[in-house]
This record gives sequence, C-alpha cells and structure tokens, in this order.
Amino acid sequence: MSDLYRLQKNMMAWLTEKNEAIVKPDIVDTGEVNKVSVEQRLAVYGNAYGYRLIDALSDNYPAVHTLMGDDDFYEMTYAYMAAHPSSHFSLRYFGHKLEEFLSEYEKSEKGLPIYTEMARFEWSLRNAFDAKNTKPLTLESLQEIPVERWGELKFQFHPSVSRVDLEWNTPQLWAAIDEGADPIAPEKLEHPYAWLLWRKELLNYYRSLDIDEAYSLDAAIQGSDFSSLCEGVCEWIDEEHAPARVAGFLSQWINDELLVEIKLD
Amino acid sequence: MKLPSLGFGLGLRKEHYNAIIETSPEVDWFEILTENYLVDGGKPLHFLDQICEKYPVVMHGVSMSLGSHDPLDMDYLAQVKALAKRTDAKWVSDHMCFTGVDGTNAHDLLPLPYTEEAIKHVSNKIKQAQDFLDRQILVENASTYVTYKQSHMSEWEFTTAVAEESDSLILLDVNNIYVSAYNHGFDPLEYLDGIPAERVQQHHIAGHSQYDGYIIDTHDHEVVDGVWDLYAEAIKRYGEVSVMIERDDNIPELSELLAELQIARDVFATNYAGARNV
Ligand SMILES: [Fe+2]
Repeated sequence: MSDLYRLQKNMMAWLTEKNEAIVKPDIVDTGEVNKVSVEQRLAVYGNAYGYRLIDALSDNYPAVHTLMGDDDFYEMTYAYMAAHPSSHFSLRYFGHKLEEFLSEYEKSEKGLPIYTEMARFEWSLRNAFDAKNTKPLTLESLQEIPVERWGELKFQFHPSVSRVDLEWNTPQLWAAIDEGADPIAPEKLEHPYAWLLWRKELLNYYRSLDIDEAYSLDAAIQGSDFSSLCEGVCEWIDEEHAPARVAGFLSQWINDELLVEIKLD
Repeated sequence: MKLPSLGFGLGLRKEHYNAIIETSPEVDWFEILTENYLVDGGKPLHFLDQICEKYPVVMHGVSMSLGSHDPLDMDYLAQVKALAKRTDAKWVSDHMCFTGVDGTNAHDLLPLPYTEEAIKHVSNKIKQAQDFLDRQILVENASTYVTYKQSHMSEWEFTTAVAEESDSLILLDVNNIYVSAYNHGFDPLEYLDGIPAERVQQHHIAGHSQYDGYIIDTHDHEVVDGVWDLYAEAIKRYGEVSVMIERDDNIPELSELLAELQIARDVFATNYAGARNV
C-alpha cells in the first residue's frame, strides 16, 4: 500500500470511526505553535465531519429535525452516517436512505413511526424541488384529440410527481412546522390517506386525493389508458358517469401541470 | 496560460438571487458553487441561467478530490463539463486536498502530505481532469489544521511543484494562507514569495473564526484587517488578479458584501504599482 493511500485511510478512520489512535502517529505535535495539541487539531476535522453531515440532513429533512429536537436528531444522524456514509459527490443525496433507516430505527427506544413517514414526505418534496423542468401539457393539445380516440390515451407525468399514502397527519404537521406555527401533535388516522406531491413552475405543491382519483393517478402513472381508468373507477361510481369523472381528473391534472405528454397507441 | 482578469467578483449565494436580478449590482463577475447546480431542474438552474445572461461566471467545486487515492469520478466530471458549457464558465476550480477514499466522501477538504509521491499523484489527476474538461483548471490552497510527519517541504513549495508539474493555474485564497500561517506558525509573506505570479489566476478573500490558539476558516464573518493587509501584499507580487469575497455562512444583505468588495477595490488601487497614472 502506498504511503499516501495508507495516510488517507488513517485520516478517514478518524473521521468515520472516531478512532484517533490510528492517525495520531502521522501528525506532527506542534505543541510550541500556539500550544494547540494534536488532539485539538484532529478535533477540528472530526467535529466538522459530523456537523457538515448533520447540516446536510437537516437541510433536506427540516421537519424530521424539528419533530425529534436537536439532541435526538444529532444522535440519530451519527447513527445514520455510520450506517450509510456518504458516497455521492453531492451532499444533496446523503439523506437518500433516511426513510429506510428510520423504519429500522423505530425498533429502538428513540424511533417513532411519524419520523419515518415525515422522512418519506420530505424526501418527495426534496425530489420535486430540483426535478427536471419539462413543458406542461396544455388543455388545447388534449382537445385536439378526437373524442372517439380518447379511450386509447396514455399519459406521461412530470418528473416531479410523486404519490405517497400516509397513515399520520404528516402534511399538516409539516405545514405547521414550515410556517413556524404552534406545534400540533402527531395523530394516527383511522385509515391511510392518498397524497400527491409535485412542482408547478418553481414551487412545490401537495394535495390529498379521493380514492378514485388516487386509483386513476396510480394506474395512469403505471401506463394504463383512459378506457382502463374508466373501467377501474366503476368500483366507486356508476358506469355511465365514469368517463366524465376521469375526464374531470384529466383536466385537473392539466391544470396542476402534472402532465407533460399524451400518447395514442 | 493565465487568462485576463475578470476584476472584482462575489460568490453567488441563493439568498441574493432576487436582489441580483432586480438591481443588477456593480459586480464584475460571480463565482458559482458547482455542486449546487448539478441537479436536473427547478429553482437553482432557473436563477443561474438568468444571472449568466448578465454576468460572467466561474465555477468552484469541492468534489474532484484531486489528491485522493481513488480515481476521478468521471460521471461528476461529465456533469461539470456540461455545466461549464451551459454557463459559459470562464474557468473551473477545485481544491488541493482529498475529500475521501475507498468510495466514502467526507465532504471536507482534507490535507495532503507534502511529498514527492503526492506531487506526482495529484499532478496526474489534475492532468486527467484538464484533458477531460479540455481546459486548464485552477487549484485552490485549502486551510489546514494538521501537519503530517511525512511532509518534507513547505505548503508553497508543494503547491508550486504541483502547478508546474500539471501545468495548472492557482486560486490563491488569501484568508486560507492567513489561517494556515497562524495555525502552523509560518510567515505568510514567505508563502506569497514562493508562489509563481504567472500562475495566480484568482484570489478568494474571506472571514474566519478565531478560537483559543487556532483559527478556522468558517467564511461566516467579515474580512479582518490582517487579511486585507495580506491581500495588499499579494497585489504587490501578482498584480491584476481576479478577486472575490467568499462568504458561505451567516450570509448578510448583498449591500454588505458590495461594501466589502469596495474595500477590495480600494486596497487594489492603493497597492497596485502598475496602476495607470493618468
Ligand atoms: Fe476559498
């Protein structure tokens, strides 16, 4: 092993394992300069490593941070960085495994299901924030399609669109935290709610979905055509009203700028 | 080959996007933090495109990890190259450091030992990056807090050797020299004297935090007098070099940074021997 490689491994062992003994013999003791010890010098790097990753995680998960409070969030982040050290060039992706990690963390004394769900919600917001820009579909381009061919229509969604089912009052909690309003208590709902998150122009949005819209959106994202959506929603409404109901969703989706393309087979 | 100076610039920070677009402040150029714009879309690129229409920009990254034993991340470099094209970046810079090894990223500018082995290693990686990006890059001196026992030359000797071996340019951070000189007890003027003027393409000027016995380059304060004095010495040695205020934390109003940039202009006017006498 080259000297350079060995030294770099030692320095990284100090940062990631907090094992000072490995790298200490490589560092000059400059006790005479400003009376700063080797331990203090190494601590500058050791502390910066932790703080930087805490900041990065807090940046992408501000509501998880607020819900946990500083001490528990820091403790959790140290455990997370040990389990999932950063490997991407950008800190933007450091938190990509947080939901998965927190769902395991629920088994520990400090974990709670609301943290896991908030992480899922915030990561969807994060992804919507810098998803690719694409030109939204206009109502005119839909109207150009002859009505008799609507059954074959398939849909392409904006890259920022994501769908989550939430068991807690997570979006309400998030909004209260984001607005700096009085904290509200986490509350488990009687049944899960379907939520849609997306970005329109430069701003993120989210809204809850009725059960038949959630079904239609999921099926359309999976590649189902208009006629299959109409069949599907018959589980909740009369067959004769189905096409109008789905057409209503479509116009809402176009209005929300969720769609970027419609395709005919 | 050294490129013409862009003048007096600022680091672009998201807190100032609107103020810049609305007021078109008197700033000659902006330095962008590369990684912030290596995303698919949304706000960051939206504002960047508008600012690039009005001002020249240069790119400053933290992820090349030029000193790491790990090979260059070619996917990263490809994104850097694409962003440089999109922004028409006048140049691209990174740091003299390693940021991790064996695939783990510490996201910090970790110091290198000043050895022959390291000179060769870093120089080879700089050459590869320059070949791929099709341009000379600038490498910045990072501030350091430890000295390795393996090092057997000064930081400025190492920096100069790497720049010459790789034929790269230097981004000389005046604050980092000030910080490292204090932390390691060397003479900052000896550092400045040791750097070849023909390779100094850009300066950073920044603030820092003083602790008991050491300084950390936190970039969250205004620039101190000692750093302005050192900048004056740099002007006497290197002449006209693109210079900017680098503020990363505790971001003040744009007007405050513009006032600091005016100080830089004044220090330059007072100390530049080649100033045109009209
Ligand atoms: Fe700098």
